[in-house]
Amino acid sequence: MVDIFALALSHGLIALAVWRLLQRPDLDREGEPPAPRRAPRGQGMRVPGLVAEPQSEEDAHTPPPGAPGA
Amino acid sequence: MLNLAFTGFFVALLLAGLRRPFLWVLCYLYIDIVAPQIISWGFLSVIPTSLIAFVAAFGGWLALDGKEGTRFTWRQGVMLALLAYCAMTTLRADYPLPALEKWGWVWKALVFAIFLPLTLRTRLRIEAAALVMVLAASALIIDGGIKTALGGGGYGTLRIFVENNTGLYEGSILSCVAIAIIPIILWLARHSTIFPSDWRVWTFAVALIFACCLIPVGTQARTGLVCLAALCILYLRTARHRVLILAGMTLAAFAAIPFLPQSFVARMNTIENHEADQSAGTRLGVWKWTWDYARENPLGGGFEAYLSSRVEYDTVVRETTGELTTVRREHVVEKGRAYHSSYFEMLGEQGYPGLFLWLLLQASGLWQMEALRRRYRTQSAPEVAWVAPLANALQLSQVSYLVGSLFVGIAFQPFILMVIGLQCGLWSYLARVGTPQVKGDRAKPRARVERKMKVRPLT
Repeated sequence: MVDIFALALSHGLIALAVWRLLQRPDLDREGEPPAPRRAPRGQGMRVPGLVAEPQSEEDAHTPPPGAPGA
Repeated sequence: MLNLAFTGFFVALLLAGLRRPFLWVLCYLYIDIVAPQIISWGFLSVIPTSLIAFVAAFGGWLALDGKEGTRFTWRQGVMLALLAYCAMTTLRADYPLPALEKWGWVWKALVFAIFLPLTLRTRLRIEAAALVMVLAASALIIDGGIKTALGGGGYGTLRIFVENNTGLYEGSILSCVAIAIIPIILWLARHSTIFPSDWRVWTFAVALIFACCLIPVGTQARTGLVCLAALCILYLRTARHRVLILAGMTLAAFAAIPFLPQSFVARMNTIENHEADQSAGTRLGVWKWTWDYARENPLGGGFEAYLSSRVEYDTVVRETTGELTTVRREHVVEKGRAYHSSYFEMLGEQGYPGLFLWLLLQASGLWQMEALRRRYRTQSAPEVAWVAPLANALQLSQVSYLVGSLFVGIAFQPFILMVIGLQCGLWSYLARVGTPQVKGDRAKPRARVERKMKVRPLT
């Protein structure tokens, strides 16, 4: 019983670590943005149309019309 | 069922490596530490799991993984030289067959330790390797810790998963390694990004450290107790609240004494009263024999050269009954006793050149980690705040091992060679990303030191 518990706990944690590593781009290359994290409960809801999300990285860096330098 | 679970886990790790080849390196770390082929009696015990994992790790790195930033450090060169020297002594060993048997696992451990730093190109990889090493060792430590707490254990009788005495399953070795990983556990609990620090991480870390401390009790290996004492003293060197921690350690030690098994207390007393102890007598005798042997064979006698050892010594037993003390002296003759010390193991088997290379490898690790610790200890930027604590943890871990090595022959222990691989990886990584911004400046000394502290951002 103790053997099973020790093996299950350690192997479970290794499996979880490997699963998390699979989601991390910085495992192979640094300087890349980390994978998006799941928003905490209650903060993740978005109303379509209320906030215009950038469709691409280029959009994200483009200043809005009328802003200085636009 | 257990066989199926082990096989499934191994296959899952191999499949995960198809997406991220570095995971095969972690797979090898796991296989080498836990050795599921020993625990399992099914499929894994008939296939060369270790070889498959190594071929996957090396092949994956060679064919699929990026090589940018990969450097071959001079300490890897020292390991390579040690490997070549061991090969040479094996060819002219006193006992060719036993020597060949030991060479069979030593070369693998050395080759992997040389290879590991080449793969540690990112901070996350260094952390992942440290994490998997700790979690894999935790399988044995949790098992041994719980069994000790439940009243099991005893010298040579603590059964961890199976009746086995190889690798980490040997009591003294596990005892030494369990204490040596405590600083790495603490670093992971504070700085891990895979399992970010929270109450669950700290609960597991504290419980695991407690289990680590129980291993020397369970195995009744005196080495572990000496390692723990050395680690506590060294930890105070860099701790922030020294007096508080010292008071806590003293309190914990006194509080633990009533709970320790009588057999453990009796065995630990022999550290002080070593004259009555045959094990201590053997050690001193073998060390003297090795010293003389090395004078006659300065290039070493190859692996397992101790088989020709002959040790004679007297044990002195004092028994007090009332006011009468009886002193009994017994003459003991032993043949073919092992070195019981890594330093003498290196001296006897690899001679002065081998001992020199091994000491160079160890001393340079202590020096490099100290240099990193000093260089980065004032850095509070999140990109580098983890460096000094990790360097400190790897240094403490190594010192703890070196203290344990005084009494156990674990000069080529694969786990410790992995720690050395981690050190090389960390050094190489920081040499690449943490180069000082200004080089060769002849400014005022103080300004120069400040500039040395500056590091380039990791991004």
